[in-house]
Amino acid sequence: MAAAAGVELRLLGEWLSPYCIRVKQALAVKGVAGYEYVEEDLEHKSELLLSSNPVHGKVPVLIHRGAPVCESLVIVQYVDEAWAGPAILPSDPYERSRARFWAAYIDDKFFPSWEPFFKSKTAEDRAETFKNAIPAVETLEKALTECSSSEGKPFFGGDSIGYVDVALGGYLAWIKAVDEVAGTSLFDEAKFPRLAAWAERFAAADAVRDASPAVEDIVVFYKKMQAAETGAEH
Amino acid sequence: MEKKSSENATPPVAAPLKLFGSWASSYTHRVQLALRLKGLEFEYVEEDLGNKSDELLRHNPVHKKVPVLVHGGRALPESVIILQYLDDAWPETRPLLPADAFDRALARFWCHFADDKLGPAVGAVFASTGEDQEAAVRQVHENLALLEVELRDGAFRGRRFFGGDEVGLLDVVLGCGSYWLAVFEDVTGVRLVDADAFPRFNAWLRDFEALDEVRETIPAVDRLLEYARGLRHMLLGLAGANAAAPSADAPTTAAAAPSAAAADIAVDI
Repeated sequence: MAAAAGVELRLLGEWLSPYCIRVKQALAVKGVAGYEYVEEDLEHKSELLLSSNPVHGKVPVLIHRGAPVCESLVIVQYVDEAWAGPAILPSDPYERSRARFWAAYIDDKFFPSWEPFFKSKTAEDRAETFKNAIPAVETLEKALTECSSSEGKPFFGGDSIGYVDVALGGYLAWIKAVDEVAGTSLFDEAKFPRLAAWAERFAAADAVRDASPAVEDIVVFYKKMQAAETGAEH
Repeated sequence: MEKKSSENATPPVAAPLKLFGSWASSYTHRVQLALRLKGLEFEYVEEDLGNKSDELLRHNPVHKKVPVLVHGGRALPESVIILQYLDDAWPETRPLLPADAFDRALARFWCHFADDKLGPAVGAVFASTGEDQEAAVRQVHENLALLEVELRDGAFRGRRFFGGDEVGLLDVVLGCGSYWLAVFEDVTGVRLVDADAFPRFNAWLRDFEALDEVRETIPAVDRLLEYARGLRHMLLGLAGANAAAPSADAPTTAAAAPSAAAADIAVDI
């Protein structure tokens, strides 16, 4: 069921949005190519976006044969189920539940605990908010150990990139960009060796490289954002 | 394919099921209802949310919440995740999710809407007064209107239940929570689910609540009313000395952890 070029499959997105990045990563992992990508201006949302996602009006939206799928993790699961290709979710029911659990944790706990750090402007604020982001990172380090087992497999998905990997992976370029500007290291190699190794391997994977924005581009945007004193909605 | 028999693999389906829950928690009800729909036997453990058991905390160290389903020693927290697990582990028995990938995506989208938007809005109505409450009520109405549109013209048009002729995942998720609407209306005096404004939603809820398995699962409305009244008094810090005397089950929960209990009703999993 290969996607034909253009209209058969369309992704409405925004290049900076971690939720759009993770969908692109998932499509790449699954081997789905030839879709049309539409960059949305979130200040001037297209009619197509607003009519495809009337409930939230947000990106990403995947439009498959005219039918829209909304919410990034819902999209990732849809991609996994609607196309043949490497499995994103594991096949074992209990492992699937763990994957869903950690993906939800990443969005509901990890990101909200990191967000204040991302929004901080002064060194003082940054010190405080960075410290507050650490407990969730500790939890993720343990999660990676649980998912990858004693055999020390590279990804949350085991030998290959899976659901939790793209869940966290959508944020990775942002995490690195903010670390660069703030002079910090969230997935510090000494404190969180498995996450640090994961971040390196994940970023180096072909599927990810092509689907993710360059950290330098985000750094430029982030610096402008901080200077302008506007909050970013992503 | 080499597959280690790891701590992570699913136990055999015949392994025992044990559910840790709270009698007033709609998230717990979702799991109880799903287990009953699938005809699965389970042991139930009532947790005192103001004094959680060591066993619960061991099974859900990250969130420390109910419900948690333990299957052959493996712990599953988070109600929507548990429901999907039941389908994955018992695929032949009364599936909760539809077969088609797009329909599954729709069900998941609206489940997330229920927990991310509708639930918190209803909780906000319950926890507030005056202008704040009016704003929260408007939010609830906007959310219900979105569902009404889907039932009338959209993805779920013409269906008796969101799952079709029979209840599915979204019915369980929305339904176990929606019974609070009438309770909150009674306790707060605010109109939430006008039958004229939301005819199809009302019809669905009525049909849902009439099902045998649902009636087995949802507590009697007078218990819910009593619980909600006690909770509202706590939340608003009203002089509640002459509120209806809480039942034996309610006091420790409501007294010891009012915000946690309120959170467990509608807002938090």
